[in-house]
Amino acid sequence: MPKAIGIINIEPSYVKVEGIEDFRPISASSVLGRYRVIDFILSNFTNSNIYNIDVQVKNRPRSTIAHVHRTDYNINTKKGNIRILYGEKPVLNEVYNTDVASLISNLEYFMETSTPYVILAPSHFIYIQDFRKLIDYHAKSNNDITVLYQNVTKADEDFLMCDTLELSKTKRVMKMAKNYGAHKHAKVSLETYIMSREMFVELLEAAKAISSLYSLSDIVKESLKTVKVGAYCHTGYAACISTLSAYYKASMDIKREKELHKMINDDWPIYTVTNDSCPTLYEPGSKITNSIVGNGCIIEGTVSNCVIGRNVVIKKGAVIKDSVIMPDAFINKGVKMEKCVVDRLAIVTHIKELKGTVEQPLYISRGDRI
Amino acid sequence: MNTNNMVAMILAGGRGSRLFDLTKREAKPAVHFGGKYRIIDFPLSNCANSNISTVGVLLQYESILLSSYVANSSTWGLDMKGGGVYALSPREKDESNLSVYKGTADAITQNMDFLDNAEAEYVLVLSGDHIYKMNYERMLEEHIANKADATIAVMEVPKKEASRFGIMNCDEKDRIIEFEEKPANPKSNLASMGIYIFTYKTLKKFLREDEKANSSHDFGKDIIPAYLNAGLKLMAYRFKGYWKDVGTIDSLWEANMDLLDDDNKLNLFDPEWKIYTGDNLASPQLIGSKAKIDHAYITQGCTVNGEVRHSVLFTDSSIGEGARVVDSVIMNGAKIGKNARLYRCLVADNVRVPDGMTLGKKDSKEILLVTRKLVSEGE
Repeated sequence: MPKAIGIINIEPSYVKVEGIEDFRPISASSVLGRYRVIDFILSNFTNSNIYNIDVQVKNRPRSTIAHVHRTDYNINTKKGNIRILYGEKPVLNEVYNTDVASLISNLEYFMETSTPYVILAPSHFIYIQDFRKLIDYHAKSNNDITVLYQNVTKADEDFLMCDTLELSKTKRVMKMAKNYGAHKHAKVSLETYIMSREMFVELLEAAKAISSLYSLSDIVKESLKTVKVGAYCHTGYAACISTLSAYYKASMDIKREKELHKMINDDWPIYTVTNDSCPTLYEPGSKITNSIVGNGCIIEGTVSNCVIGRNVVIKKGAVIKDSVIMPDAFINKGVKMEKCVVDRLAIVTHIKELKGTVEQPLYISRGDRI
Repeated sequence: MNTNNMVAMILAGGRGSRLFDLTKREAKPAVHFGGKYRIIDFPLSNCANSNISTVGVLLQYESILLSSYVANSSTWGLDMKGGGVYALSPREKDESNLSVYKGTADAITQNMDFLDNAEAEYVLVLSGDHIYKMNYERMLEEHIANKADATIAVMEVPKKEASRFGIMNCDEKDRIIEFEEKPANPKSNLASMGIYIFTYKTLKKFLREDEKANSSHDFGKDIIPAYLNAGLKLMAYRFKGYWKDVGTIDSLWEANMDLLDDDNKLNLFDPEWKIYTGDNLASPQLIGSKAKIDHAYITQGCTVNGEVRHSVLFTDSSIGEGARVVDSVIMNGAKIGKNARLYRCLVADNVRVPDGMTLGKKDSKEILLVTRKLVSEGE
C-alpha cells in the first residue's frame, strides 16, 4: 500500500520563461531531446511507488493533457491513476488563480484515497528524489510538514525568487525568505512538501481564511510559528526552470555525460511518451561533438555542445553551437547559430548569424519561419 | 477504425541457425535490427498499418521472450477490442496430444480453431523474419477483385539469384501456372516472398487433407502444389520495394548497412508507415567531446566517445574513447572498449570488447560475428 498520494502543483507567479511559456506551461515543455520537464517529477513519484498522482493545471493545459497518460509512467493500471485537475472555479482575475484556490476546488479528489501522507511537488523543477526516503524521514521526525531543500552554492545566479530557508540545528525551518540573489550560498526550498492529509486540509483552510491571494509557500511561511516545519536535504542535481536562461542552463548541465547517467539510468528510469521515431542518421560530412540527440534526426551539418530534440533536421553547412533545438525543428543549409533556443516545429533558413548569450539565449518561437 | 476480416498468422517458430550465436537463446524473429527494432516488428507493424486487427504469432523455438514481447499488443496499436496479438505455441488439446509444429502448414492446421473463433474470411500467412514494408490491405483488395483462391506476393530478383528462391511462373495476367522451389534453371525471375493470402474456407479443406497425408506439411512444398494440381486460381501480387531475408550474418549486416543510404527504399523516416517497437527507457544518445561520427545510424541510449564510420549502433551500446568502429553493426548493450579497432564486424548483444582489441579486417570478404566467446578467446 503506498503511503502517500502525489500532487504536482501549478507553477508560481515568478516563473516567466520567455517565449516557451506562450505555448504551454513550462512543465509541458520539451527538455533534453525526448522528455518534458514534468517527466522528472512524475518519474520520481512512480519510481517511489507512489501511483496516485494528481497534476494541477492552470493556463494553456493542452500540452499537459496531451502528454500525461497513466500508461506511459509505469503506473499500476488498476490501483493507480494520474489525473489532470483544473481549477474548476472561475477566477475573476489572474491574481486569484493561485495554487491554493486550485487545490481547494479539487480537495474532495485528494481525499478519496486513504494514504496517510500527501506529497506536493512543483512542476517547474528538475531533480531526482526517492520520495520513500522523504516519507521515512518525515514519519520518524515529529514534523507537521517537511520541506525538501537544496544547498545551493550559486544562489546569486540560480534559483532567483525561490524560497530560501533558515534552519535551526535540529533542521527546523525558522525563517523563509525570497532569494533575491544577495548571497552565493543558500538553502533553497525545492517547493516539495510532505505532510499528513489532515495537515494538508488545515493548511489550505488557513490560507483561505487569511487571504485569497495566498499561495502554498505563503501559508507555509505564515505557519512557521504555529506548526512544526522541518527540512530534508536533497543531494544531487536540481534546477528551477523559471526563466529562459534557467531552461537553457539546465539543458546544458544535464547533458554532460556524468550528470545524465546519474539522473537517468536503469535503476531510475525517466518515463515519457514514445513517438516511434526511427534512429538518427548522421550523414557523411556531418560533424557532431559534445551533444545529446533524440531519435529521428537527420544531421548533415556541424553541431557542437547542443541538445538536439527528436526529428530535427540540420542541413549541410549549418553550424549549430551551444544551442537547444526542440523536436521537429528544421535548420536549413548554411545557418549559423550560437546560444539559441529553437522551439518546436520552427523552420530556420536565415543565413545571417543568430546569436544569444547564456543569460539571454536567443529564442526562436514555436512554428516560426525565419 | 476500419478493419478487415483477414487474420494474419506470422510464422515465428524458426531458429535461424545460420545466425549462429545470435539465435542461441532467442528465436530469429526476436533478433534486434536497425538500431531499435526487432525483426518481427516489421510484419507486426505492417499488419497494424494495413488495418488488420487480429494477429496470431506461431512460436516454437525459444518462445518465452517472443511470446511476452508480442503479447503486448499495444506496442503496435493492435490492442483494439475484438482484436489483438496472440502468441500461439503448440498445445495439448482435447482431441489430440501435444505435438510440435511439423511444418509451416501444420502450424496453421493446429490453430484452425483459433481462426474459426476469429471468424476469419481470409488468412494472411507471413514470415516473422523478413525486413520490408508492405500494405497487405491492398494485396487483399486484389485477391478479392481477382476472385483468387490464393494470392502470393512475388518480387523480381536478379536472374542469376533466382535459383535460391521459390520461383513462380505466371501467365500474362499474373495467374500462377507453375511453382518451382529453388530451380536449377529458373524459367522466370518472380520469387515468392513467403507472403500468402488464402480464402480461409478453401484453405481449411486443403489443410485437412494435408494433415492426413504423408507430407512435409509445408506451404511451398505441399499446399501450393496441391492448389495448382486442383486447378485453383492462384494469383501473383507484384511487390516493388525493399525486402530482405536476413537469414545469415552477412545479410543481416547488409540490411543494417542499407539504412545508412539516405534514399534506401525501406525509409524508416516515413511518418505514414511507422515501424513500431517495444519502447525502452534509454536516455537520448550522447555524443562525447572526442567523438568523430562520419556516416552512422545511431539510436537512443548510445554513448559515443570514439570514432564511428559507416556503422549502425543499437540501443544502449557504447563506443569508448579512442576506439574506431568502421563498417560495423554494434548490437544492443554492446560496449566497445577504449582504443579498440573494429572493421566489418557484427557485435552481438551485450558483448564487451576489451580496451585495445582489434577485430575484423578492412577488406574481409565475410563479416565477423563478435561473440562473448570470441572476445574471451582473443584476450
